[in-house]
Amino acid sequence: MQGEADRVIDARGSYCPGPLMELIKAIKEEDVGTVLAVLSSDASSAKDIPEWVKKAGHELVGVFEEDGYWRIVIRKSR
Amino acid sequence: MGKLAMVLASGELEKLQAASIIASVASTVGMEVLLFATMDGLMAFRKDVVEEKAWKTGELGKGMLEKNAPLFIDTLKQAKEVGNIKIYACGMVMDMLGLKKEDFVDIFDDVLGVTAFLGMVEGAQVLFI
Repeated sequence: MQGEADRVIDARGSYCPGPLMELIKAIKEEDVGTVLAVLSSDASSAKDIPEWVKKAGHELVGVFEEDGYWRIVIRKSR
Repeated sequence: MGKLAMVLASGELEKLQAASIIASVASTVGMEVLLFATMDGLMAFRKDVVEEKAWKTGELGKGMLEKNAPLFIDTLKQAKEVGNIKIYACGMVMDMLGLKKEDFVDIFDDVLGVTAFLGMVEGAQVLFI
């Protein structure tokens, strides 16, 4: 699968800003370099999480559209 | 990254939801965020109101409750865990109605008067909701 992750956060079924908040909590717990994937069925989160990642200074590995949800993969950079 | 302050004066669920999302996300990207809940905006945090989900809502707010969207209180609590955000209750309204900090959900950092809040928000962008 494209964009393998060390940790997967399944936020499907949750609405904005649920998926983002879950990602932020997880990022805080992990070490720099960890790759995290957020699963979100919420289209606005798929758009907004990459914006957040940029602003917060992490690396966006990719946004992958799966069957009925998005998989947003990021690498903790700082 | 700057400073964002919001005065929450409305008890309408839709406004509180929007404010909480903006405030929370701002707090996680390096902004210092200060919220001041007053008037109906403070009443929305009362324990009995929260337990009964008795907020003033329009059609959209009803839909949000039905769909179990994250509530403004939960969004703000999460933001406090990960971001730089402080939430204050208006002392004037509490004095007037004889309410105590315990009458509200456990979210406030302190009870403040307007002068103290104005001192804190110096140099901040202030939004009134």
